[in-house]
Amino acid sequence: MKKFNILLFLLFFVGAGFAQKVNVNAGMIFQKTEALYWENGVGADFSMPGVFDNQLHLNLNYVSSRLGTALMYNAIKQDNLIIGLNWHFLHKKDLQIKAGVNTGLFLVDYESAIFDDLPSSSALFQIETGLSYQFKFPVIASLTAGYNLISGDGVSVPGTLFPVFYKLSVFYRFK
Amino acid sequence: MRKIYFLVLFPIFFSCNPTPEIDDTTMLDGNQIFDLSLTQPEDYLVSEYITNPTEEQKNTPVLIAAHGYTATTFEWDEFREYADEKGTFFVSQVLLGGHGRTYADFKASSWEDWQSSIKEEYIKLSNKGFKNIYLAGSSTGAPLIIHLLSSGFFKDYTRPKGIFLIDPIVVSSNKTLTMVGLLGPILGYTSVDLSTGEVGKWYVYRPQETLKQLMKLIDMTRINLEKGILITPDIYVKVYKSKVDDTADPVSAVMIYKGIKFDSQPDKTIDVQMVNSSIHVFTRLKGREGVTDADTLNQQEAFDDMSRIMTE
Repeated sequence: MKKFNILLFLLFFVGAGFAQKVNVNAGMIFQKTEALYWENGVGADFSMPGVFDNQLHLNLNYVSSRLGTALMYNAIKQDNLIIGLNWHFLHKKDLQIKAGVNTGLFLVDYESAIFDDLPSSSALFQIETGLSYQFKFPVIASLTAGYNLISGDGVSVPGTLFPVFYKLSVFYRFK
Repeated sequence: MRKIYFLVLFPIFFSCNPTPEIDDTTMLDGNQIFDLSLTQPEDYLVSEYITNPTEEQKNTPVLIAAHGYTATTFEWDEFREYADEKGTFFVSQVLLGGHGRTYADFKASSWEDWQSSIKEEYIKLSNKGFKNIYLAGSSTGAPLIIHLLSSGFFKDYTRPKGIFLIDPIVVSSNKTLTMVGLLGPILGYTSVDLSTGEVGKWYVYRPQETLKQLMKLIDMTRINLEKGILITPDIYVKVYKSKVDDTADPVSAVMIYKGIKFDSQPDKTIDVQMVNSSIHVFTRLKGREGVTDADTLNQQEAFDDMSRIMTE
């Protein structure tokens, strides 16, 4: 029932977007986990004037160690597929405070059958907050800190899912 | 207003500087119980009980066994007993610096102090002419040995023949350790419950200063493994890792497997055996409660495997 309600909400959001102007920002994300890897990637952020006057944002992110520490070093290859909602305070100002929740999927590739018994995926549940700055030119930069409510124990959740992370997003403001 | 400041600051100050209650008569943390290797090193260290080795002794494999964080030489007692029964190799049980002494000694120690006794014993054995030196590290003993590889320590001495890493810790299963920098000063120390058989063999209290040192050591080890630790192909390395471990996350084995490389043999890998065990340091069973036949078999198989590798 909960999944159905979430789907309905997303469909409403997207459907409303077709009837109204959708603000779309997209660009690069640089994420550092405390005491672990750089996991970088891409993301997009959506908001609408008709949905809480652009205060509520839907964001989609993909960050991976494949685009971070694993690019140059022997880091474990892991991917994060994230969807989230965040609320922007002071939304009419250039400098805004944002806070929200994310969910998604965490996937790990150990690259050897030796480790087939180790957990290689987990759901993600995160809280995240920070600052967002809208430049005069069409770029938005955000600096946030987040906490993974599920972190790894190596038994049921991959051991490289650490609790604390920091994120820098640099997005181009398309609309 | 001053009363409010006091009420707010007092608990913060108090919790920043707590001292645990130590029972000297039962706890290793106190000033009456110490690891016996401190007063009887000749019973623990090969360098002390074989002061002038014969040629036969120099050719006999000798394994330096390094225990884990807060532990003592007790952690390798069973393997020592196994070795004495076999009579085909020696075991030198080092006591990590700052360990087996008092809470104050432990609190003041750094990871370099912990490592120093491994280095000292290795240098002595190398200088005495022992040709087949192996190292075994359990839990924190493992990253201490991995650091010896990455730092180039062995280049001035007899090269080790092999390294065994038992339930090595590169990533902690308890992820709050990653926040010790922030939480440590507030907590002051953590404590553990010991079984009856473990009392007097492990520190009960873990000062936040030592948790920070542990985090520093394992984080450095992770980074060094990511960069790649190159070793010569004649050094044998094997990891034995419990699949379920509430202290050393099993992903530690993955990081070591990916991180240790062999010079001029890029396709060669170290050996890793994931063990069907839920015990941290499954090779130590003495003092535990609820030991099963499967646990005993795991221990025996690991001992036999290490013995075979050293003596074949």
